[in-house]
Parts: sequence; C-alpha cells; structure tokens
Amino acid sequence: MARRIDAVVVGAGHNGLVTAALLAKAHKHVVVLERAERAGGILRGSEPATGFRAPGLIHTVGRLRSSVVKELRLDRFGFGVIAPDVRLHAPMPDGSAVTFWGDPARTAEELRARSAHDADAFGGFDAKIRAIASFLAYVQVATPPDPASPSLADAIMGLKLGKAFRDLGARTGREAIRSLPMAVADLVQEVFEEEAVRGPLATRGVLYTAMGAWATGTAQVFLNDSAGTDGGAAGTAVFARGGTDALADALEAAATSLGVEIRTGAEVVSIRTKGPRVVGVGIADGTEIDAPIVASGADPKRTLRLLDPVAVGPTTLWRGENLRQPGAMARVNFALGGVPAFAGGDEERLRGRIVLAPSIDAVERAMDAVKYGHVSEEPVLEATIPSLTDPSLAPEGKHVMSVVFQAAPRHLREGSWSTERDRVGDLAVKALEACAPGFGELVEAREVITPEDMEERDGLTGGDVQHAEPALDQFFAWRPMLGEARYRFLFDGLYLCGSGAHPGGGITGGPGANAARRILKDGAG
Amino acid sequence: MAERYDAIVIGGGHNGLVNAAYLARSGLKVLVLERRPILGGATLTEEIVPGYRFSVFSYVVSLLRPEIIRELELPKHGLEILPLDGTITPLEDDYLWRVNDHGKTVRELRRWSLNDAEAYEEYGPLMAEMGRFIKPILAIPPPDPGKLSPFEWLPLTPLAKQFRDLPRRLQTTFIQLMTMSAADFLDQWFVTEPLKATMSASGIIGTFQGPRSPGTAYVLLHHYMGEIDGAFRAWGVPRGGTGAIAYAIADAALAAGVTIRTEAPVARVRTDGTRATGVVLASGEEIAADVVMSSLDSRQTFIHLLDDGVLEPGFRDEVLRYKYRGSSGKVNLALDGLPELACKPGTGEWLRGAISISPSLDYIEHAYDDAKYGRPSRRPYVDIIIPTLVDPTMAPPGKHVMSCFVQYAPYHLADGAVWDDAAREAFGQNVIDTLEERFPNIRQLIVGAQFVTPKDIEDITGLTEGNIFQGELSLEQLFFNRPVPGWSRYRTPVANLWMCGSATHPGGGIMGAPGRIAALEYLKEKRKGRRAA
Repeated sequence: MARRIDAVVVGAGHNGLVTAALLAKAHKHVVVLERAERAGGILRGSEPATGFRAPGLIHTVGRLRSSVVKELRLDRFGFGVIAPDVRLHAPMPDGSAVTFWGDPARTAEELRARSAHDADAFGGFDAKIRAIASFLAYVQVATPPDPASPSLADAIMGLKLGKAFRDLGARTGREAIRSLPMAVADLVQEVFEEEAVRGPLATRGVLYTAMGAWATGTAQVFLNDSAGTDGGAAGTAVFARGGTDALADALEAAATSLGVEIRTGAEVVSIRTKGPRVVGVGIADGTEIDAPIVASGADPKRTLRLLDPVAVGPTTLWRGENLRQPGAMARVNFALGGVPAFAGGDEERLRGRIVLAPSIDAVERAMDAVKYGHVSEEPVLEATIPSLTDPSLAPEGKHVMSVVFQAAPRHLREGSWSTERDRVGDLAVKALEACAPGFGELVEAREVITPEDMEERDGLTGGDVQHAEPALDQFFAWRPMLGEARYRFLFDGLYLCGSGAHPGGGITGGPGANAARRILKDGAG
Repeated sequence: MAERYDAIVIGGGHNGLVNAAYLARSGLKVLVLERRPILGGATLTEEIVPGYRFSVFSYVVSLLRPEIIRELELPKHGLEILPLDGTITPLEDDYLWRVNDHGKTVRELRRWSLNDAEAYEEYGPLMAEMGRFIKPILAIPPPDPGKLSPFEWLPLTPLAKQFRDLPRRLQTTFIQLMTMSAADFLDQWFVTEPLKATMSASGIIGTFQGPRSPGTAYVLLHHYMGEIDGAFRAWGVPRGGTGAIAYAIADAALAAGVTIRTEAPVARVRTDGTRATGVVLASGEEIAADVVMSSLDSRQTFIHLLDDGVLEPGFRDEVLRYKYRGSSGKVNLALDGLPELACKPGTGEWLRGAISISPSLDYIEHAYDDAKYGRPSRRPYVDIIIPTLVDPTMAPPGKHVMSCFVQYAPYHLADGAVWDDAAREAFGQNVIDTLEERFPNIRQLIVGAQFVTPKDIEDITGLTEGNIFQGELSLEQLFFNRPVPGWSRYRTPVANLWMCGSATHPGGGIMGAPGRIAALEYLKEKRKGRRAA
C-alpha cells in the first residue's frame, strides 16, 4: 500500500490547490480529489470559438495574494501577469466616457473636464480607500476570532489588528468603521457629484453579489476588493498571462512539484465522520479514502450536504441550509472579429475593465431583478478584452471578450435557464451595442454560462461564485457562520478552505492559505 | 441682560423635556425654549379638523423607557397609556390577524401554514430573549472606537461577557439581527407572505430601506424592545394622543422647577469662539447659560444655529454628510363612523389594534423601489390605527379618527419635482385610494383629512428632511456614529454645547432615552468638574 495520506482536499479549485500545496510544503502527504477532468475549478476558461481562449468565471487575477505567489513560486511554473495602465473604462450611453487609470492623478486630470468638484475629490477618495484597504489587508490574513470564546491567540491577533487599526490614526479609523457597513452608493455619492463617476465606481461593490448599490455592507465588498492590492478607488485590472488557465496550470504544477497527488474525475460523494472526528471521504466509484484531515474547497452548503445529516444534527443543518448563496451573475464570452468601438475609447483605454453602469440608479435597477427572480432587461456589465494585451488568446487581428452580466439570478420565478440562456446573450449584445455601435457585427461566436451551469458544471451551490454572499451577515468572524469561521468546520479534522471561508471569494488564494496555516497549527496528521 | 440659567434646552419635544426635567430635578435652573406655540415637537396632538384631535406625527408608544416613566412619575402627571391589541393584515379576500393571545395567534397561523404556526412558537420567545439582551445597550453611552483606549470599551465588558454566555443559537441570531435584511431573517422561519411582510414592515419604519435591504433586521429588534408595564412587545396609545406624553413630561418638568417658554425660536447658539455661552432668540433677546442642550438634530444644531467658523471644517463636513432622507408621511382622517374591511366585514375588535397594509414582501419592496427612484410609492405600506376605539375623547361621540403612517414618501423627489400643494394632495389621495382597496366604504366616511408629507414634517417640526429619527437608522449611523462619528457621547466640539435628542444614541422613537442619558452624563461631568475645582 502507498504512503499514509495525511490530508484529503476536496476539489482542485484555486483555493483547494493552494491549501494542498502549502500542506505538502510542510511535508504532508496530500491527495486532491477533483470531480472534473481537469484541475483548476473556476479558473478554467473555455473556447467560444476555435482559437479564442476566454477566461474562467472571474476574469481578472489582481487580488491573488502576493505571499501565495511567492511561497508557491508560481512564477517558476509559468505564472505571469499583465497589468495595463488603465484600470476601468466606463462608456456612457451619451457617447462620452470616464476612464480610471492606475495613476489617480491622471484620472483626476481627465475628470476635470466633466466636473472640477469630482476631479478635486478623487485624490482624497483614492487615498481614503487605500488607507482603509491597507487595514483590511491585515484582516484578510487573520484567522477570525471566535467571538463566543476568545482565546489567548485571539487576543494576540486582536492586538495585531488593533495595532494596524491604530496606525490608521483616529480619523481614518473612525472613517473605516463608518465606511465598512455602508452602502457603496453612499460611499461614492457623498464624495462625487457626477453619476458617470458614481455608477462605474459603485459597480465594484455589487459585482459577483446579489445585492444592489443601496444595500448596506456593499461598501465593505468594494473595500475588501482593494485590500492587499494596488487597487485604490479604481480597483485592479490584472490579467494572467496566457489567461486564467495559465494560473490554473501554474497552481497545479506547483502543487504537484511539492508532492501533491491530484486525482481528477474523482467526485467526492461523502465526507465520512466518526463521532466528533472526520475519518475520510467516499468517492463516486465506491472507493473510500481514509485521512485524518479533510479540507473542503467546495462551498459550505455543498460541504454540509456531503456529511451525514444525522451526525450534523438538525439545528446545524437548519443553520447551514439557511446560508445565503444566491448566485446572480451570468458570464458571456464573445469571439470578436475586431476591437469594438466603445464610446471615448481608443484601444489603450479598453485594456482594463470596461464597465457599463452609467449611474447608481442603473446599478440598482439592474440588481432589482434579483428580488423578483428575473434577468435584468438593462444589465450592468463588466467586460474585459484580454487579447488586447495578450495576443496569444485570439487569432491574429481578432479578439476575445469576457463579460460579467448582472443580474441573472440562479432561481427564476418564470421560465427556465434553458430559455433564458439566449436572452442573456441577446441582452448583453444589446447593452454593448448601445455603447459600442456596430458591436453585434463583430461577434463571430458567443457563449453564455448561466448560473445554472455554474451550479451543475462547477458545483457552485446556488450558482454563487463567491460560495456565500459577501454580506455583513456572512462576514469575517461569522463566515460562513458563527462558530465555524476558523476553517475548522463542524468536525475535528474537517476544514473549509474555499471561498465560503474568510476572507471570501475571488481569485485570492486567501481562504486556501489561511486554512492551510490553521491546519498546520492544529497539528495535522 | 436678562436672567441667567444653569441650562438652556433647545426644543420642547419629548427628549428636550425629559432632559430638562432630569437636569432640574438635580437642582439646576433650566429653561426650555420651544419654537412653536405648542409643546411636543413630533410628539404632538393637534385639533386639525374641529372636534377631531390627531396625533399628527408619531402615533403609538411602546419604546418610552420605563425608568423615565417611573423616575419622572409620569402617570401622576397625567400619562395614561391605553394598550392596543393585535395586528390585522387585510388582503383582498382574506386576512391575517395576530393578537396578544398567543394561542389564538398560533391557531390563526395554522390556517395559513402549519410550519409557520410551529416556527412562531419559537420565534416569539427568541426575539423577546434577544430584546432582553440588547436592552442594556440602550442605557449606556457608546464608546468611541477612534480613541482605542480599552477604557472606552469598559461599559461594554459586561455585555461582551453576556454575549459569550449566550447559547450559540442566540449569538447567531444576534449577529444576524445586526446585519441581515428583515426579509432574509424572516425567510429562515416563515413562508406566509402577509406574516413576513407585516413583521418586516416594523423593520423599515422611518428608514430609507426596503425589507430586502441588509441591516433592516436590526430594527425588527428595536421594535421588540417596546415595553408597557413590563410586558414586552406591547404597543399603546396615550390617552389624549401622543401630545399627552409631551404634556405629562412637561408637567413633571414644571414641577421640578423648569421654566418653559413657547413661541421662543432660537436663532443662534452664542459662543465665545470655543464655548457656548447661551442663546440668541429670533426676537434678538439674549439668554445666558452654563450649558446649552440641543434636542434638535445635528444639522439644525451645528449648521443652522452656530456661526460660521466656530466649527472646524472637517467636523462640519461630517455633519453635512450625515444622512436624513425622510421616507414617510402621515394621513390623518376624521371619520363619520367606523370603516369596514372588505375581507372581514363588521366592526369587531380586529379594528382595535394595528391594521397593516402589507400583503406581501414584494408589495413592500415594490413600494420601496418607487421611493428609491424618487417618487412616492404607488401602493404604499400603510400602518393604520383608529385611536378613538380605545380613547373616545379624540373625536365627537360616535365619530372616529384614523391615523395612517405611510411609507414610502421620499423627501427628495426625482426629476426636479417638489413637495408642493399638488404633490401633497396627490400623495394623500393615493393613500386614500390604497385604503379604499381594503375599506370600500372609507371615502363616504371622510369628513376631514390631513396629509403630512416629509416636507411638512420638516417645516412643522424642524426635523431635517422629515426624518422622524433625526438621522437615518442605518448601520453606519448607529451607536458610536450617532450623531457624528467621534461625538457619540452627547458632547460636541463646542464646549458647553450638548446634544440630547433622537439624533444621539440610542436613537429615535418616543423613547426619551437620549434626553435622559444626556442629562445624566452632563450631571456626572459637572460633579467631576466640581471635584477637580
């Protein structure tokens, strides 16, 4: 028989791979079990047409934690980034546009023609976001305390966070505490007067969520998106060279080189427990693997459903089933015959994120559709054209465009995703056509990935790419729920290492790295 | 120069009067200055239609702090609270009627959903328990997180311990209440739409949020903390309308030696540059005092009453960006007789409690959608009571008054529209149309009506943007962020100028707590100062 297995990781998504690799680096024998035929999870892209490489569900990688890149030496395994000067270009229906650059001074300078007030305010706002985000970067790395029974370690963590907080100074500290629970609409509205500035900025607070711009706590989504990065007010626009697949390949190669064994086509159908402890997993083909540690990269509800409900108990089951995982995003990929003619957008301005959200009301209206269970007629879109900076992703002279479409709620009150799929594609084209006349004629092929696909193909319960709504009720010390926020999940030896754990979703590797640290601290294997 | 006072209280609303009474009871010479000819502020009874007395703005009472009732001996000064029983939610051809009799309510719920009837048995005690846990927070001054001194957090230590001692389920509930939307919170228990809608409605009263907005669950709790004679979750109307509360408190204040002047609008708070030294009335009269207590909201206090240059610009900006956004209006009707519900004909006891037009979560959410985009709800949420059924003195014999709290009516209207007479009339008529869908005979009964828009609330009471809580109860404006971040402890950057209204912790509603805590804080500081001197 082979060497004893120290830990099984469920799912070879980016977080699962990070956990596995970091455990292996600490000389653990780790087996990763992946349902799909390839490792990589939501990093795996698709081919809307031959020769066009579209990214995975989340199309930028600017939030990937730098310590993860360093510790796993991802650069040695082919991972590189492309970071254009432009961060965000927001074409308006009236033919004008607002561009946000990596350099806030350049952004402010360009804003001046539209509003001197907003131009003057931009620098201060950017600095405030950076200051608060720098504190949140510490929070993201922390293992959340257990508010119910704080330990000495929590006290030390508290002191560290306290110091980071004190370093902000009283004024920024108060501002941080005031800002986090705010609605992103308020966060930008109190500073800027132009809707053309407010709308595109506010979008980042609702992207990949089911919330509207006026929802309390969306400012926290916005701020956390900037934490630990050079994002500032505009956010990041960082692409993986070779597409998100290249990052998946690098993670896979890094893990394998550290001795991790990745078994694809191996779907975990049960997580087995005995009394208070996890003892292993069961695979779809009937085999069982014993391991003292199981780290689940699957979302919390899916993980819960892999457990024996009797062992979990009715109260926890009730709490778990009430976790909110409301996917509300669809993805559309286009194979384009050329560069779309976006309002006010020479090619240089289209290299980052292109956001179609001309006002706070537009964002809010688009997200209203979630509440009533239908697809937004006037969606908010975030598009990227990665082939502009990485020609390897499309045939010469042609381009691939990926679009995040919101809102497209997983559960429709009327109709089904089989009929709505095409409508999402049509609505996306219509919205793009409005800001980039002639867009429709450039489309050579298109591919729509519905939230139902995300649930069925990628195993994301509720089609929620964040694994759990990043709202204040599923935040930090109670993500995914109170008492289960310290990576250990319900049973001794069972850990949550995916986006459902702190610090949450996105291509960060954060939950994976934090979980690995926790597992090692608990004395794995 | 005229007489000198130990303290001047600006505003004769319930908090101002409570504050004055507490200060005077400890021996201070106190003057209350009220702009209007009548006391009460938003706690006001006025005879708008001859013979019919309306509780013009706030209309029920439950949050009034029991220690205030006790310590100021308000019953002796004429306060009598008549309990209201139950809430009926009329639908087109059915209704949901919940009463204080638990068994009866559960039987009624069983008609709708067995699951909900069972869940209700759990929900009620849970919320009552949460209410008991959170109540102490209402009685302590909040810490300042910006200061980061552990001493700031000392008052919270017993609470933190209490929290740790709670069973996990209650801890979870507490966190959910602080962060979730009312709808998400209730979805965990219930499926019956009118039940969820009516419960969530208490989470949105006075806010600019919908039942699906995160953070609204908190207000569910706020309203579970109401207490009458020690009974949780009890609502009532004061005999004589809500104005009677103000007059009972005023009576207690007068008995303690407070001087009250009405029709004495304050134009300015006088300062020597850094300290408040008194006030200047609109008439030009100057009155000096050791301390000035403002029961007005922060915008009124700092922007309208202080001279330019007294405040540092950073603080002024904080004040200006504080959110008000009034979202509600009132329709008060004088009725020739009792209206009948289409879904439950007759004039039985179901009319004696609250009548809530909140048939489904979508209904309220749609109402909110209208407001978000700057128009009054086409079909608003309406919370109705008929106070004459418990207090016949409010109208001539056999006649009735109907008080309708209406949400949403946004202060800021879209497309440049303003709250003029035509807009007010359209708002009122639309509410009556809404009522007519439930009470088919209502129009024939109306002998007089008063339509109150958020602009009216602002114009009459001075509440900025018509916000009935003196500042929106959104998460980032609670506790240590009320009324200005860093200034949550009733003091202001201007020495000897204090705040004592709903703008301060623990916030709005006819609670009286801000007035009381501000007085006690001031007296404590004064004692400390004397010892130091």
